[in-house]
Amino acid sequence: MHLLEVKNPVAQQRGVISAFSASDRPDTLDNKTVGLIWSGTHGGDIALKRAGEMLQERFENVSVNFYTGGNYPTPPAIVQQAGEECDVIVGATAD
Amino acid sequence: MIHDMIVIEKMGKPGVAIVSGRFDSDAVASSRAFGMPDLQWIVVPHIYRNLDPETCRTQTEDAIDELIGTLTASIDARTPDAETENNSRYEGSDRYDAILKMNQEFINDDLGDGLFLHPATPEAVAEMLTGTNLPPDHAVCDMPPGFGIATVEKIAVNAVMAGAKPEHLPVVIAAVKALSKIGGQGGKSLLMSTSPQAPLLIVNGPVTKNLGLNARSALGPGRDNQVNTIIGRAFALCFRNIGHWYPNKMDMDTIGTSRKFIQCIAENEDASPWDPFHVDQGFKANESTVSVFVTDGELDIQDQGNHTAEGLLKNLAYGSIFGTRSLQGEKGGVERLILMPPDVARPVGSQGFSKQAAKEFIHEHARGSLGKMIQYMPLKGEARVTEHWKWLENLSEQQLLDISIPVLDSPDDCYIMVVGADRAKTAVFPSGPAPVTEGIDQYMP
Repeated sequence: MHLLEVKNPVAQQRGVISAFSASDRPDTLDNKTVGLIWSGTHGGDIALKRAGEMLQERFENVSVNFYTGGNYPTPPAIVQQAGEECDVIVGATAD
Repeated sequence: MIHDMIVIEKMGKPGVAIVSGRFDSDAVASSRAFGMPDLQWIVVPHIYRNLDPETCRTQTEDAIDELIGTLTASIDARTPDAETENNSRYEGSDRYDAILKMNQEFINDDLGDGLFLHPATPEAVAEMLTGTNLPPDHAVCDMPPGFGIATVEKIAVNAVMAGAKPEHLPVVIAAVKALSKIGGQGGKSLLMSTSPQAPLLIVNGPVTKNLGLNARSALGPGRDNQVNTIIGRAFALCFRNIGHWYPNKMDMDTIGTSRKFIQCIAENEDASPWDPFHVDQGFKANESTVSVFVTDGELDIQDQGNHTAEGLLKNLAYGSIFGTRSLQGEKGGVERLILMPPDVARPVGSQGFSKQAAKEFIHEHARGSLGKMIQYMPLKGEARVTEHWKWLENLSEQQLLDISIPVLDSPDDCYIMVVGADRAKTAVFPSGPAPVTEGIDQYMP
C-alpha cells in the first residue's frame, strides 16, 4: 500500500475572510420606496419594471424609482444614489 | 449586478438580484468574491437579453413571491467556507494507483484542467519553493476574478501540479501579479464574461533563453513548446484554484476556447528589427519580464507575395478589420495584439518603418463599416448607446453601413510582438484591456 499526501491548491478568497452580513429586512413593503437598478442589458428593464408594478399591486403605497448607468457594474454614484433614496433595491443580471 | 447589490447591502439596505439561468453558480461565487456570501438573489429560467418582451414579463411574474420573500424575510447565513489549508491523503495499491485516485478526486472537484495532474506532495512543493527568493507565506496579490489570496506557496502548489520546475516559478509569480493589475473593476469582470476572454503570456529578456521558451512556432503543442506549455499551464491552474476562475462559476463562457489552456510564449527578439516589447514598456533590455494580454479571439492573416512594407502592412491592416465596436463613449475600446513573424517584421523594419510608424500605418488603414461593427447591438432601446452616438438611431441601415471608421481609436491600441518561424503569416488577436508587464528578476532566488 502507498499513502500519498498532497497540498491543497485552492486559495482562500479575501471576500470570505472579511465577509459582511446581509442587512435586516423590513416586515412589509407597505409605504416603502423600491429602487430598480438596470444593468443596461436587453430585457432586464422590462423584467424590473414588471417586478415594480407587481410590488405596487401587492403592497400599499409603494413608490418605485428606476436607475441605470447603462452598463455593469453600475457607476458607483448611481448605486449610492439608489441606496440613499430607496428602502429596498432590486437589480437584474443576465450577462 | 451582484457587486452592485453588495454595495447596497453595505449601505444597510436590502438588495436582491434577479439572476438568470446558469448564472446561479456565478452569483454564489461572486457573492463570496465580493465579501457577502449571505447576499440574496432569485433565479429565473432564462437569460433576459434575447427573450421577447412578453416572456421577460411572465418569467418575472412567476418569481415575484420569491422576490418578496428575499426582500422581507429574515436571512439564514450560508454555509461556511470550504477548507483550503489541510493536506489531502490518498491510499493506493502503489504510488501510481494513489496518484490516479488523487487525479480522479481533483478532476471531480474541478481543481484541474482535465489533464493529468502531478501530485503536489510537501516535498515537491518545498523543492518548487527553492525557485524564488520569497517566503512561502508571502501574499503576492489577491488574484482576480475571485480574489483568492495568492501566497507564494499556493502558486508553488499549482506549479507543481502543472509539471513545472523551480526555475519556472518566478515567471508564474510575475504573471499572477500582472493579472492582478489588469484593467479596473470592469477589466476584471471581463474575465467572468460569457465571451471567450483568455490570458496569453509573453515573456521577454534573458530568461527566455535560460528557460528554453520557444519564440518561433510558439503557440502549438509538442517538444519545442514544452516549457511554453508548462508555464502557461501553471499559470492557468493558479488562475483556477487561486483566482477561482472555475467554469460556470466565475468563468461564464458560452462556448469556451482552447486559449483557456493558457500558453506562455517568448518574443523572437533576435529576429526583430525593433526594440523588444518590454523596452517599449519601460524596462531595460537585459531585464526579464512577462506581459499578460487578455485575448478574445485569434485570426491568421496570410500574405502570399507582398514584399514591400506598405503592401505587407496594408494586408495586415485589412485583416484586422473584424469584430464589434462599443458605443458607450467616444472611444470604441477595441485593441489588437499582433504577433508579427520575422518575414513581415524584417522587411517592414528595413524599409524604414519604426514600430511606432508601423502601428500608425495599421491604424490609418484598418478602417471598416460602422454599421457592420455595431450590428451586434440593436440601437433602439439600448442603454449602452451614449449621447455621443444617439444620432446613429436616425440613420437607415444603408447609411450606417456606408460610414467608414477606424477599427482602433489610436495607434497605441495596437501592440506588435515579433513572434514566429519563417513565413509571412501574422496572428492577430482582438484584445483588451491594455496588457500589464511585470518584472521577473525580482522573484528569482
